[in-house]
Amino acid sequence: MKMLARNIVLVSFTLLICAAFAYKKTTPLYLEVPKDWPEPAYDFSKNPLTEEGFQLGRHLFYDPIISRDSTISCASCHMQATGFTHVDHELSHGIEGKIGTRNSLALINLAWTKDFLWDGGANHLEVQPLNPITNPVEMDETLEHVVAKLQKTEKYPRMFEAAFGTSKITGQLTLKALTQFMLMLKSSNSKYDKVMRHQESFNPSEQKGYALFRKNCASCHTEPLFSSGKFENNGLAVDATLNDFGRMKITNRTEDSLRFKVPTLRNIQFTFPYMHDGRFKTLTEVVKHYNSIQKTKGIPKELSEPMHLSDNDRTDLVAFMKTLTDTEFLYNPRFSYPK
Amino acid sequence: MIKRFVFIGCICFFTLQIIHAQSQDSLALDFHFKFNETPLVIGQEFVSKQKDSLKINTFRFYVSDIQLLFADNSTAQIKESHLVDLEMPATQKISLIPNSKKRVKAVVFSIGVDSLASVSGALSGDLDPTKGMYWAWQSGYINMKIEGQSPSCKTRKNQFQFHIGGYLEPNNALRTLTFNPKKSNVIEVSIDLAAFFDEVPLAEVNSVMIPGKRGIQLADISTKMFSVE
Repeated sequence: MKMLARNIVLVSFTLLICAAFAYKKTTPLYLEVPKDWPEPAYDFSKNPLTEEGFQLGRHLFYDPIISRDSTISCASCHMQATGFTHVDHELSHGIEGKIGTRNSLALINLAWTKDFLWDGGANHLEVQPLNPITNPVEMDETLEHVVAKLQKTEKYPRMFEAAFGTSKITGQLTLKALTQFMLMLKSSNSKYDKVMRHQESFNPSEQKGYALFRKNCASCHTEPLFSSGKFENNGLAVDATLNDFGRMKITNRTEDSLRFKVPTLRNIQFTFPYMHDGRFKTLTEVVKHYNSIQKTKGIPKELSEPMHLSDNDRTDLVAFMKTLTDTEFLYNPRFSYPK
Repeated sequence: MIKRFVFIGCICFFTLQIIHAQSQDSLALDFHFKFNETPLVIGQEFVSKQKDSLKINTFRFYVSDIQLLFADNSTAQIKESHLVDLEMPATQKISLIPNSKKRVKAVVFSIGVDSLASVSGALSGDLDPTKGMYWAWQSGYINMKIEGQSPSCKTRKNQFQFHIGGYLEPNNALRTLTFNPKKSNVIEVSIDLAAFFDEVPLAEVNSVMIPGKRGIQLADISTKMFSVE
């Protein structure tokens, strides 16, 4: 009996030592909130950011294993150098070259975003990826199958172990990891930001453009995120080949007809084409649209009058919008393809 | 050495005894599936009062927020959601309280997932989005999924698909049921799919996969399938 007691002590001690070594600590990561910015909408307490979780999310983001035939990754339609959107395609294309119905959104400052997709169909950043993963013209896959594929790889069980302390991959953990990567995509170091921090100054054209922006655009493209996060009808006639009525599909409310998400204007210089269906190739075309907007049903009062800007004013407004380019964000090696 | 084996053996034996005793006395919800008086079998043909002959391929639903009222007026609540799946027998019995000998006066549970879960991002266990019970184009859980085939459906492969859900008013499809079981320990819930298909003419209604008025009507009809002895 004495021997048994001694054995128990010995075994427990060994187990304790093993446990201490097995529990590798993760490296916490913090998303710094820029001065004068609102608090993030995302609840970090349910998914604490770690370097391991972020790196896992980054690998998943760039890995086409997420699509049915392993050809399409998140980055296929969300490329870093263009503000994480699909540049030069009116409508984004997915698996087997199939064309979707909308222009992919830029992934910028998502920690401050409440509703996702052009129609706000996703109510939480963590569940947003389910949409492109399962959409038959995007990745045409199921999350269940993605998890099974990841589990069979050599790399991912190890990375999940490092990030979440378990090599058993689940849908929840896959989505939480992707979310950690997306949460870190913060853009807050454009020329505009530097001017606001009194580190740089606008040139005269940009300064005039900023005044015009404040007067004509800022009620929806609210600073500092350059989006109110709301859904608005911006006076675009419906494209008869798409018949996309936007937010109404989600809410079933007629007042939401033709309302789409107000996108951020950060890095707008590189996120062309513009609008939910990518109908405008240049910022000049966008400004011209608001400059000569027709009063139609459902248009908000802020847009009920055209801007009537002169040619010089329009140039200044575009000059200001280009100050929202954040090259540090667009070329941050931490957000690029993992090597 | 032998002593040690005997000792470990004894421990194992007693542990098994305890587990066995617990399983006998534990309180559980036990689901049985039928079509009228016939046990429901996947792929078998049944005929509804609408004269639709039909086969069921998928039948899954969430049971959440189980509340118990005992004869001594004490109560218990199990908030978690369980996914009950016709294809997976292990999901068809939900253990509630181990070692309970108290008589149950009333049992209340919800069919579906409450709105909080539908706005909480990616969840785990039975609520993990890999379970195929989460809408991708519009966030929120599918409370109940019924899929199958019927020659009455002029659809691709004669399929019918009912994905009943929606958490936002006025299209909240969550339904709460109350029963007064006569038996004490295992609460036998029987689910008669005939009660659903007797009221759903498959030639007209065969594809409901979004929250809305139709979803609400189907959620109301779906409650008629449930009964407790």
